[in-house]
Amino acid sequence: MRLTLVSVGIVFALMALGAGAGPAHGGTPVAAPTSDDGQWQMPARDYAASRYSGLADINSRNATGLHPVWTFSTGVLAGHEGQPLVVGDTMYVVTPWPNVLYAFDLTKEGYPLRWKYRPDVSSNAIGVSCCDTVNRGAFYADGRIIYNLLDGHTVAVDAKTGRELWKTQIADLGSGETVTMAPLVVKDRVIVGASGGEFGIYGWTKGLDLKTGAVVWTARNIGPDADMLVSPTGFRPPYDSGSDIGARGWPDDAWRTGGAPVWGWISYDPDLGLIYYGTGNAAPYNAEQRPGDNKWTASVLARRPEDGTLVWAYQFTPHDNWDFDATGAMVLADLVVSGKPTKALVHFDKNGFAYTLDRATGRLLVAEPFVAVNWAKSIDLKTGRPVIDPGKQTGLSHGTVKGICPSLEGGVSPSSPPAYSPRTHLFYTSTNNLCMDYSATHTTYLKGTPFMGINSPYVAGPGGYLGSFMAWDAATGKKVWENKEEFPNWSGALVTAGDVAFYGTLDGWFKSIDARTGKVLSRFKVGSGVVGNPITFRAPDGKQYVAVYAGIGGDWLLLAGDVRSDDPTDLRAPADYVKDIARHTSGGGMIWIFGL
Amino acid sequence: MNARTPVGLLLAVLALSACQQRALLPASNAAPLLPPAVAYEAHEAAGGRVPPGGTLRNPHQGDPAVAANGALLFTTMNCDGCHGPDASGSVGPNLAVRRWRYGGADAEVYMSIFYGRPKGMPAFGGALGEEGVWTLVTYIRSLPKVDNLATESWEKP
Repeated sequence: MRLTLVSVGIVFALMALGAGAGPAHGGTPVAAPTSDDGQWQMPARDYAASRYSGLADINSRNATGLHPVWTFSTGVLAGHEGQPLVVGDTMYVVTPWPNVLYAFDLTKEGYPLRWKYRPDVSSNAIGVSCCDTVNRGAFYADGRIIYNLLDGHTVAVDAKTGRELWKTQIADLGSGETVTMAPLVVKDRVIVGASGGEFGIYGWTKGLDLKTGAVVWTARNIGPDADMLVSPTGFRPPYDSGSDIGARGWPDDAWRTGGAPVWGWISYDPDLGLIYYGTGNAAPYNAEQRPGDNKWTASVLARRPEDGTLVWAYQFTPHDNWDFDATGAMVLADLVVSGKPTKALVHFDKNGFAYTLDRATGRLLVAEPFVAVNWAKSIDLKTGRPVIDPGKQTGLSHGTVKGICPSLEGGVSPSSPPAYSPRTHLFYTSTNNLCMDYSATHTTYLKGTPFMGINSPYVAGPGGYLGSFMAWDAATGKKVWENKEEFPNWSGALVTAGDVAFYGTLDGWFKSIDARTGKVLSRFKVGSGVVGNPITFRAPDGKQYVAVYAGIGGDWLLLAGDVRSDDPTDLRAPADYVKDIARHTSGGGMIWIFGL
Repeated sequence: MNARTPVGLLLAVLALSACQQRALLPASNAAPLLPPAVAYEAHEAAGGRVPPGGTLRNPHQGDPAVAANGALLFTTMNCDGCHGPDASGSVGPNLAVRRWRYGGADAEVYMSIFYGRPKGMPAFGGALGEEGVWTLVTYIRSLPKVDNLATESWEKP
């Protein structure tokens, strides 16, 4: 890519934009970037988690001409979830373990590295991560790139020099805690959480000081009010009352090993002053070892970012029987629901329902299935509770419960965040069309080992296809269109002001589609299955590009281990519901950039 | 108490081998015997000179009753949580395919379980003791050989 005088001018303009959002304003961290400035400074591009860009140079009329213009191997073979950042004239990429941070110079031909940062990360973390050694991305704020290391640390790296500014231990590997989530920075707080729902962790969220990395607050997601940072007067859950709700819905002190990990995404409403995030499954998977609602597992929690105070909480799946983590993104959108302008929160849950909530109060507005669902008949909007099918309840005494839909991979994987376009008023999401048989077994907590108690083979859901990419109207709870895919779909979504949406498939097709109809505009077979999230940006040459990671992995690495070729001592038979995936792809992390 | 808790199971294991009561866990204060260093068959020796190493003998080698107890122990101690049902692989490697990162002889598998390995294999020697680890070794060595997975073909024969 050659620099012209025009593009140099644009570089300076972009750099000025970058500086304005950075440290020049004396500690005011990143403002939500404007919708068309061509940058991508946080995991979902904005605090609302919309994954929407105002760029429209690539649009539904010309996207047929998209083609790859640049690739780079990360040198890492695990699942490449997450997404790059573009700040000013630099692109930042975090790899799965060992969590290398690359900074690419977008002003030079071939995008050479400005620097790379290789942290010291314990290899013990590999075996403590339930579902591959993934990382869901970094956050830019205050001139720093902030991200998490798998072995339980958060680091801040100088965005210009690549020097480590601080490194804080936040999690305890020995207790089964790893960190895969993307942090969120609000003002001078870095909000982080831990994975480990398969190891019986006592799930938490922490707020760190942006300048020093010091832990300012720690809030448990389950347990007594004091641990959960519940103030006696300030906590207003819409469907519950009383004190110690997070401890009462458990036998004895089972909440101490009850899970509620935080491994997905956090969003933020600056007007309401609230952060929103979902909590994961209840531990162990054998639900009969923990009678009760098990609050606040499988829930959305709204907290004050400055001190962690819990303001409201809503549980999607009471007494989680099916490993239905609620760690998928909470997308904030202003919608017209039943004729009323509403500050909404929209969430596609693993349990197969798409929820539209009032984000000020947590009250349910709409809850409809977006995939085949049979564990519950519906969600009662008055009580907020699912109307359960008793025949799909699991637990040791139920033996093998057959044909539960969706499977514990979720109606959509929480690692595959949706996008929202304010132009089409539609949400875009990947889905899995999978059901499961569920056999719970008794399990005993042994610190640092899996606390699960389950065997759960999968089968294809109704229709025989295994996944899709769909458009959803969250104001009415209706599917608008759906592109069926041969394999479960595991990538995040992107949508732009050019009315183009983007996603990748598990067998490695990267697609641009018309955001209004779903019609495929272009597709290209990238080097490995896509489980990452596409982004778009304007490069210093003035042109719009789309970037995405290839690199199959995440749960799929475990369930279809025959896609791996890097360990001669560890051969796996193909998973029987997805026998052909290794025919089309194998592991391998690569960044792909597409342009016109 | 459910018979499948570690304590219940380990008592059962111990009853089977009452003469070897060293392996009480985890409440026991009795120090387990530390195994000697093992020279790995798979290691290459510089200059052709094999370094000195001790030997470890599995007191239950090939004993199907002990292997059956080991299968129970494999789930009770959450080994299956990482290595998958029937040790077919999940987070941790497939053990039934009989390919080994750290050696597959009884003594080598013993060392892997007792002290753990890098990349996240926890050290179970402290929790299980010598007897418990040998029980697991006996089970793992008894796993039926899986079909040859070296070749995966999508062509019609």
